[in-house]
Amino acid sequence: MENLLSPYLLMCLAFVAITAPFLAFLLSLIFKKVAPAIGILSIGASFIASLFLFLAVWKKQTLHFSWHWVQLQHVKIDVGILLNDLTVIMLLMISLISLLVHIYSVEYMRKDVLKYRYFAYLSLFCFAMLGVVLADNLFILYAFWELVGFASYLLIGFWFTRDKAVQANKKAMIMNRIGDVGFLIGLMILLTQFHTLDLSVLFGPENLISSSFVKNGLWVSPFNTMPDYWLTIAGFCFFAGAIAKSAQFPLHTWLPDAMEGPTAVSSLIHAATMVAAGVFLLLRIVPLFNELVLTSMAIIGLFTAFMAATIALTQSNIKKVLAFSTISQLGFMILAVGVGDNAAAIFHLITHAFFKCLLFLTAGAVIHELHHLKEKHQLDFDEQNLDYMGGLRKFMPITGFVFLLAACALSGLPFTSGYLSKDAILISVFQYADVNGGIYWLFPLFISITSWLTTFYIFRVVFKVFFGKFRLSEKLSQKLEVHEASRWMTVPILILGIFCFGFFFAFNPFNLDSAWLYKGFNINQHNEGIYHLIVPLYINMLSIALIFTTYYVYAKKTININFQGTWFYKFSYNQWYFNSFYDVFLIKLFLVKTKIFYWFDQKVIDGIVHFLRDFALILSKISSWIDKYIIDGLVNGVAALVQRIGIWLRGTQNGKLQHYFIWMLFLFLSFMIYKIIL
Amino acid sequence: MGLLSVLIFLPLVFGVLILVMPKRLNSYFKYLAVVVSLIQLAIATWMYFQFKTGDTFAGVNKLSQYQWIEKLDWIRLDVGSFGTLQIDYLLGVDGFSIGLVWLSALVMLIASLSSWEIKTNLRGYFALFLLLDTAIIGVFCSLDLFLFYIFYELMLLPLYFLIGMWGGVRREYAAIKFFLYTLFGSIFMLLVIAGLYLSVTDPATGNHTFSMVDAMNPANYSAGSIFSIAAHTQILGISARSLGFIIVFIAFAIKVPIFPFHTWLPDAHVEAPTPISIILAGILLKVGAYGIIRMAYGIFPDVAISLSWWMGLLGVISIIYGAMNALAQTDLKRLIAYSSISHMGFVLIGIASLTSEGLNGAMMQMISHGFLSVMLFFIAGVIYNRVHDRDIYNFRGLANHMPIFTGFVMIAFFASLGLPGFSAFIAEIFTLIGAFSSYNLNGLLPHWMAIVSAFGILLGAGYFLWTLQRMFFGTLRLKKEEWKVNLVDLNFREILVFTPLAALALILGVMPSLVFDVMSSSVNQFLMLFK
Repeated sequence: MENLLSPYLLMCLAFVAITAPFLAFLLSLIFKKVAPAIGILSIGASFIASLFLFLAVWKKQTLHFSWHWVQLQHVKIDVGILLNDLTVIMLLMISLISLLVHIYSVEYMRKDVLKYRYFAYLSLFCFAMLGVVLADNLFILYAFWELVGFASYLLIGFWFTRDKAVQANKKAMIMNRIGDVGFLIGLMILLTQFHTLDLSVLFGPENLISSSFVKNGLWVSPFNTMPDYWLTIAGFCFFAGAIAKSAQFPLHTWLPDAMEGPTAVSSLIHAATMVAAGVFLLLRIVPLFNELVLTSMAIIGLFTAFMAATIALTQSNIKKVLAFSTISQLGFMILAVGVGDNAAAIFHLITHAFFKCLLFLTAGAVIHELHHLKEKHQLDFDEQNLDYMGGLRKFMPITGFVFLLAACALSGLPFTSGYLSKDAILISVFQYADVNGGIYWLFPLFISITSWLTTFYIFRVVFKVFFGKFRLSEKLSQKLEVHEASRWMTVPILILGIFCFGFFFAFNPFNLDSAWLYKGFNINQHNEGIYHLIVPLYINMLSIALIFTTYYVYAKKTININFQGTWFYKFSYNQWYFNSFYDVFLIKLFLVKTKIFYWFDQKVIDGIVHFLRDFALILSKISSWIDKYIIDGLVNGVAALVQRIGIWLRGTQNGKLQHYFIWMLFLFLSFMIYKIIL
Repeated sequence: MGLLSVLIFLPLVFGVLILVMPKRLNSYFKYLAVVVSLIQLAIATWMYFQFKTGDTFAGVNKLSQYQWIEKLDWIRLDVGSFGTLQIDYLLGVDGFSIGLVWLSALVMLIASLSSWEIKTNLRGYFALFLLLDTAIIGVFCSLDLFLFYIFYELMLLPLYFLIGMWGGVRREYAAIKFFLYTLFGSIFMLLVIAGLYLSVTDPATGNHTFSMVDAMNPANYSAGSIFSIAAHTQILGISARSLGFIIVFIAFAIKVPIFPFHTWLPDAHVEAPTPISIILAGILLKVGAYGIIRMAYGIFPDVAISLSWWMGLLGVISIIYGAMNALAQTDLKRLIAYSSISHMGFVLIGIASLTSEGLNGAMMQMISHGFLSVMLFFIAGVIYNRVHDRDIYNFRGLANHMPIFTGFVMIAFFASLGLPGFSAFIAEIFTLIGAFSSYNLNGLLPHWMAIVSAFGILLGAGYFLWTLQRMFFGTLRLKKEEWKVNLVDLNFREILVFTPLAALALILGVMPSLVFDVMSSSVNQFLMLFK
């Protein structure tokens, strides 16, 4: 294949893959009527280009093209494309899922007046996401990273007249920005240390990262030396970016709220692609992380996975369950990166993208049909609430079947893709604990529990939605019928369904060694050892038992467990009270702080200015008083004195000779006395 | 007569023309103002693209490397034992000024289009407006301190009347506050200028000189003079040069404005009519930053280095403080005014870093903030014009009601909060990179300053997104029912104002080299002063 396609041609293909969605974004805004067609065609072109790129690059070569962009004294930034194994597999996954979601959206958004905007935003998102994947340096990656956040902002708030939706998109954007600040600081550290942000220079073969070292508390690179804690800080900064994007604790609360967007958007952005970007970033720059950062990653990943799984147990909104499931699964991937099994992380990223996207799309189909029902019969109920569903497999057999398939994949049952990728992570975690020992055994313990929780919550949804009786119909005591979704929706769903099978990823769906994707990133390691046998076995044994339990609890209702009212039910249902905590202790407090700042500005800073003004006014009053009564008083006083003297002297000029004599005598005597005394 | 003189005095000529035109023609004044600004912009654009770049055209402290130089002997006065008083009419542009000259021409065009909403006393308005135009371009082009000071003070007069006569309710308070604040700074600066005159001699004529360029060369200071580096003159126990730097810095810091000299700005902006707000934010703030670069840093580099930690600190405080205050606002215009303080803080920290990245970023931020603040104030103007209210809580759900307007609002807000693809992103990221790397390159700014400043970007997202959500999204709800009729979408003139600004912010965001290439050699030359 690489003989057929010259590097130049591959460059053009990569160029097509990324520019097609951007053009679609612009054209959709102009040619509003044909926006869906433009969107599908462009992402289709991207998909085909990605397919060729994959065939030419995967396991064969690494290509790097770059063009001059900005050159300053110490910083040179190029724009470029980096094509390696990680790029092309992501490219293929993103473009394929995007294509299917585009097709699905045609039906899902059919009645929306602003449909063209939806497709334009979707194209913009694809452009940004492909940009993240293709970017050859961290600066450009950061730019696209933020653009992804922006596109997500637009799509979450697509129904901008809904207050909840616009609250949610603001929250998502701001929480992502917190991570972005981390990312930015990380960039500054790397740039200062290495004078470049080029990924292949930093992390490629003979890279700068490996030529730098920590010695005597200093982090030394060929260009610069910094105290070694900056290496750790840099690691944490990039990790912060990933935490926000991949919705990890403590910045996970935006993702459940983001479910206010159209379901097709949730499936593409908030399940398959954008949220995976965080994991992707970590994988791109993984050599940067030192032991401390990696361990923190493992802890955060484990905690998030466990926490989100416990929350997903009790949510009544179908999309919320899936959202928390996504958070939990992303936690698995972060954990995998933390324990050093990058191959498992990327493998699970890809398989998860397919089955989680599928779960969302099928849930969307259900919501869509229930919405139809609601409009048709003029009913008032929440079409996303699990309590109104039930028995839908009779009405929607295809949807039901595919949802079940995806649920199996999520649970990691045999023959599914999830079996391979999730167990790969579990095995690594066991090995990690084995190597480190002691308290590290908490990792496998909790991740096993999380794994079982996963099975439980997803089959709870399966049985509540597709099995049992149609509760809406029962509640309203009215015979209601739901229809299967249209072809526009079922075809993409079915295509995605194929990727839930383990066969697609491995000849032998029980053997990790035959998983091409896993082996592709994990060449040297031999997948043997006791854990490869035990772990899948014991996880799945209990999983299957759990599925039966769930079936009897939620479908047959023969076992009745009632946790409602207990504290842990409430704790889980209220999502561990994170939102209330953030509202009260962070946001409210912060807003008070801004008011204090404003008060300070008004009263203190401007107060000083006003004081100076008043001071000057008082000074001027004083000086005016002095001027009027002292300076002018002196002048007037002198004048008055002269006048007085004049008046008095005038009195002497009275024409009387005797008076003149007396004056003369007086003056003469005075003169004589004066003379005598002196 | 050179091109720069044409650029400067063209508006003045037309201003005089407006004064003598008969009153019945007063509906044509606005067209005249637009025509003048258009010609100006055309000349400035032509100059921008003709501007030669490269190390031999760096300018800064080498007069011969400036372009479009005009030098006329203006005042020659024999003052006996003091020699000859030499004041030159000296114009020229280098990489620092050309971009700002072009920006001024653009902003004046936008402001003149925005001035169409002025309805009273048109003759006076447009005459003052054009006088202001002359003064602004003059400031950026003059290289003689005396000439610079004249233009600098000349800006104040029309602005005082423009705010005080055509402004809002508390216009007189705002106008006087603005005037006194600025005057306070510049009076003391005049003393420094006098001191510089007495210290610097023109190597060509041997006379004392007001030339800025000569003042940047330590060799031109006569021995023992007050500002001579070798003399170490002390005034009130502080070295004379430090005092000179601080005075000049404060004079311009008031203009920028930098915390704690900023309180005139929210008042002046809130009360000023839209076109004057546009000029204030778009250009006047840049005059301050330009002055800091050219005069404070350029003439007193030794002091600048020793005080750069404090400069950086003021920059950081301005960024965070401005943003925190913006978050507390409910008046749209006041919010934007405080956001300007925050954004201009990036300029200061970029300058203080004294790195190529930081300075280039700072210059980019000036130009970028030029477009974006103009857009933001125009947005406030659009709403205020229609309903005479600016309180954010009085509006909700404008997005469906005014879709085109909302589109531009989103562009302006997202560009301002640093979305990649727009100029502010490039500007802020480069100033931060400069500030961060400063510690390792020249040891001036500690790392934490850049890190804290980075949080300014986060806060920026906070207030812009909140405004967007509160005012534009949700279902339409207004304070008064009749506002629905008044709040019509943009007209053609308004679209004409928004489009080029949005386009420019985008173009510079994608191709920042358009600006960087023009100024980077000047920046490098400038940095040589600090070696």
